[in-house]
Amino acid sequence: MGTRILAVEDDERIRTAVKMALEDEGWIVEEADNGEDALDAFGRHPTDVVLIDIMLPGIDGFEVCRSIRRQSDVPIVMVTARADTHDVVAGLEAGADDYLTKPFAPKELSARIRALLRRARTTDPAITNLKFGDLEIHPEEGLVLRNGDEVHLTKTEFRLLVELASAPGRVFSREVLLERVWGYGYFGDGRLVDVHVRRLRTKVEVDPANPRHVVTVRGLGYKLQP
Amino acid sequence: MQSFYPIRRLGLRARLTLSIAFGAAALSAVLSVTAWGLTRENLLKQRDDNAVTRVLSNAGTVAQSIGPRSDSKDTGFEKLIASLPTPQGAQPVIYMSGQWYAKSPLEFGRDEIPESLRRTVDGGQAARMRYERDGKLWLTVGVPLPVTGASYYEGVPLDEVQRTLDGLAISLLGASALSTLAGGLFGYWISRRALTPLADVGEAATAIAAGNLDTRLVVTGDPELDVLTTSFNEMAQILQDRIERDARFASEVSHELRSPLMTLAASLEVINNMREELPERAQTALDLMKTDVDRFQQLVEDLLEISRFDVGAIKLHLEEVFVTDVVLAAVSMASNAAGSTSMPVLYDEDVSEVVVRVDKRRFARVIANLLDNAQKYAGGATAVRIEIPPVETVDDESSADAAPVATGSADGSPEPDHVWVVVEDKGTGVPEAERERIFDRFSRGTEGGNRGVDTGVGLGLALVDEHIRLHGGRVWVEDRTDGEAGARFVVELPVVPIGEEAGADALEDVA
Repeated sequence: MGTRILAVEDDERIRTAVKMALEDEGWIVEEADNGEDALDAFGRHPTDVVLIDIMLPGIDGFEVCRSIRRQSDVPIVMVTARADTHDVVAGLEAGADDYLTKPFAPKELSARIRALLRRARTTDPAITNLKFGDLEIHPEEGLVLRNGDEVHLTKTEFRLLVELASAPGRVFSREVLLERVWGYGYFGDGRLVDVHVRRLRTKVEVDPANPRHVVTVRGLGYKLQP
Repeated sequence: MQSFYPIRRLGLRARLTLSIAFGAAALSAVLSVTAWGLTRENLLKQRDDNAVTRVLSNAGTVAQSIGPRSDSKDTGFEKLIASLPTPQGAQPVIYMSGQWYAKSPLEFGRDEIPESLRRTVDGGQAARMRYERDGKLWLTVGVPLPVTGASYYEGVPLDEVQRTLDGLAISLLGASALSTLAGGLFGYWISRRALTPLADVGEAATAIAAGNLDTRLVVTGDPELDVLTTSFNEMAQILQDRIERDARFASEVSHELRSPLMTLAASLEVINNMREELPERAQTALDLMKTDVDRFQQLVEDLLEISRFDVGAIKLHLEEVFVTDVVLAAVSMASNAAGSTSMPVLYDEDVSEVVVRVDKRRFARVIANLLDNAQKYAGGATAVRIEIPPVETVDDESSADAAPVATGSADGSPEPDHVWVVVEDKGTGVPEAERERIFDRFSRGTEGGNRGVDTGVGLGLALVDEHIRLHGGRVWVEDRTDGEAGARFVVELPVVPIGEEAGADALEDVA
């Protein structure tokens, strides 16, 4: 069975054109033209990736994002009008894994989806179970425990944590993390890393404001404190 | 440019100060002259009256002493004169039978009495006359003594009055000078006070010109001032509304264009996916469409970016990066996007540690635009160089025509303040007259046509300029410094001093 994408976009012409272009890439595309229908469709059909336009009538894209995130760790790509607004950070904080600005090339979207799915499916088998104080990481099972309780991470958060855990104490620059986790090059948006680190901290840290595990190295990047 | 005021050499404040000082001078001069004149008249009249009264009485005494006309050569005149009651300095003179008798004939006699006075008195009429003699003011009263055939004159020196008047004149002059000075000071003060609102207006106008469109003057409640304040604020409001409306319009238009562009881009991709199935003519048409949709998309992006500049809505996403990293990445990305072979990036070792604070993706646009510009107008860039500027270009005005030779500072010179990213081409260069203009919006190559067929929209260099300025740098074009024909577009960026990097958490959005 092919990969199913739920495309949420209120502009019918865009929706139709993007659906066709994505179908040409081999994806199965479900459509929704508003937030309610999107949540409804998400509940009814198995979905591998969600594509959400932030500007939706009714329930806006952020809310759809949050609702989906509450019930699933499915990769979410949001579509924004502009890259330099707060929309991007707000969308990422609402749970999106990546974003694209309109107008984007459907081929670029396909590449992003492939990157999200690829890393969501694979973990490095070379890494065995890891323990950092109260934190336990089981890469093969895709499991993270804090004080023995399971911590629910999205696939991207999990991948980010595993990436940092692959070399505890080593500093990873944003560029490296962008490339390894998102498949971006030098000009990837560093905010993806920053927001995901923030999200990760709220889940794995006792006090997210004073992180003990995922720490910032000023001017350089992030590392996992061994 | 229309000016509402004729150009004057002096400022408004100087003119106001001078006017008030002149006013004070004129007023005090008039008052002084009037006061002096009145005092003089009064003093002299009083003197005159006293003198006339006394002279008449003395004349009576003289007439009595002489008695009826006699021819005797009297020798008693000296005694008589001496006995007359005269104030100090007064000179009684008796004229009789062609002889002049006086207290001391050498001091005051015939010669001291004006001829016109003598003639009047000889004619039988009493007269007085005020005149100046040897620098002294005299009042001489002459009385004919008809019965005796003699005349009596008395000269009264008025130098006392003169001294009083001189003293008064000096005092008045001093007072006038003082009031002129006071007037000047007052004028200075009042003009300062009066012009304070004008200075405020000036400051507000400067602020508005600098882009602070919401600058307003404080309404003070002063009815005269508020005419200015209110109309200024209204003007500023209208200006702000208009600029924002224009910018919003551009922004909205661009946003509105995004949706159809999205449909176009996606639809074109669908058609392109079956390109091979299309007849050749349709393929050509498809390629044309693809190229122009890309261009259109770029134009919309540029317009949006420009309109963001106009409303000050640009948020730079600044990061500290090695200049070599960002330039290499930008050049390679631009080359990939343009489908061209990669451009050589040349730099000395001295720039390898140089850190700049840039919005990486906007900086990449800058490089892409410069390379694109070289492609359009000069047959392509020949090299991108990263240089440390020569020391003498630190000052601001050495930009376009300085054409300094870049020197590698491998000789251990101190940390540079700036770094240059130079895009070089081998075209015909940019004429001096065009070097500023080409950074204007929608300006294109020269009329000479040597910059090739234009396919751009003329926003590329304007965006470069705006972006670099937001980064605290500047951009200019100059001739190549190695003697070859061609232009050098130089982007100058401030260097982040070593040890002052803000760190990973300092990613900031700056307006």
